[in-house]
Amino acid sequence: MKMTKENDRYKKIIEILRNSRPDLIQPEGIENEVIRKIQNEDQKTGTVSDFIESLFSWVYIGWVRRSLVGAAVVLVAVFIYQQGFILKQVRNISERVVNIGNEQVSVPSSDFARRLTLYKMSTRLAPAGGKRVSEKQLEDILNSYDELLVKYKDLIRIIEEDPALKQYIENKLNEEGNKKSDI
Amino acid sequence: MIEKELIEQCINGDLHNFRKVVEKTSPMIFSVAFRMLGDEDSARDIVQETMITIWQKLAKIKSADTYKTWVYRIAVNKCYDQMRKQKRQKENRFDDQTWALISNHMSEEGITELENKENAQIINFLTNKLSHTQKAVFILSELEEMPAGEIAEITGMNRSAVKSNLYYARKNIESLLRKYL
Repeated sequence: MKMTKENDRYKKIIEILRNSRPDLIQPEGIENEVIRKIQNEDQKTGTVSDFIESLFSWVYIGWVRRSLVGAAVVLVAVFIYQQGFILKQVRNISERVVNIGNEQVSVPSSDFARRLTLYKMSTRLAPAGGKRVSEKQLEDILNSYDELLVKYKDLIRIIEEDPALKQYIENKLNEEGNKKSDI
Repeated sequence: MIEKELIEQCINGDLHNFRKVVEKTSPMIFSVAFRMLGDEDSARDIVQETMITIWQKLAKIKSADTYKTWVYRIAVNKCYDQMRKQKRQKENRFDDQTWALISNHMSEEGITELENKENAQIINFLTNKLSHTQKAVFILSELEEMPAGEIAEITGMNRSAVKSNLYYARKNIESLLRKYL
């Protein structure tokens, strides 16, 4: 009896609600707004995000679609970064050219990379079982080499600036050359 | 009901005829959206958004026969999104005034017609404790009078899930009526 009463109440209230279909007031306002927005959308040029969003247009749930778009953008960004990193490494390796005996090896242009290459070379040139050069020793050698290079350049500049000295050195070198050829 | 020819013309990009589609489709979307959201402005927004989505994706519709189900599916999903936002924004409170309104209409002879505001107030009162899916199934089944198969297609649930959601929604509302009457 009680159940029937509740059921009747339920039916009655449902009947009232069914009978009271919500009224859409001024539907032409919605029509105009929809048409206006569509026309504006058509005029817009497609952005990257619109393009990506259109890829996920099969997803009707807004937050799922936005999440998928976000994930896609992150993946593309990671991919581009990786490609850039790999290209940089490849370029760096291809720049190294140095002669070790008959073997050709690359030499990078920057000072740090040059030092690094020479350090690696020193480990390769060490005889099997022989004593290896320490990092500090290598650093000293490189510093001496740099100083020597500076002094050599200064010497060349001084010789170039003084024609008499240049002539004298050329004569000396020629004499040395003649002596070697006689021998 | 919308004619197939009209939809097919819109698929080919006929915006003039799409205005007619909007005119015929808007009331049915508004009805569902208003009943689900209980707010006229939000329901109008849902109608607009749904119609724009329909225009953008009309080319993807498999056949004009499935138009109605497809439209309801888009609208219901947009309502779900809006309900999630609303839940965060406000907690509805109901008082004796709402119940007095229901009692008045219940005691009247015959079936009375409610205004939009009263309608929203009563639906919100009855469905306040329901989950979003239960609310959607209740509205589509009991108020929009759709069969379980069509509701299953709209909501993406299977038929037994639809029936189960409807059973629990009904049970919940009946217990509410028992408590107040």
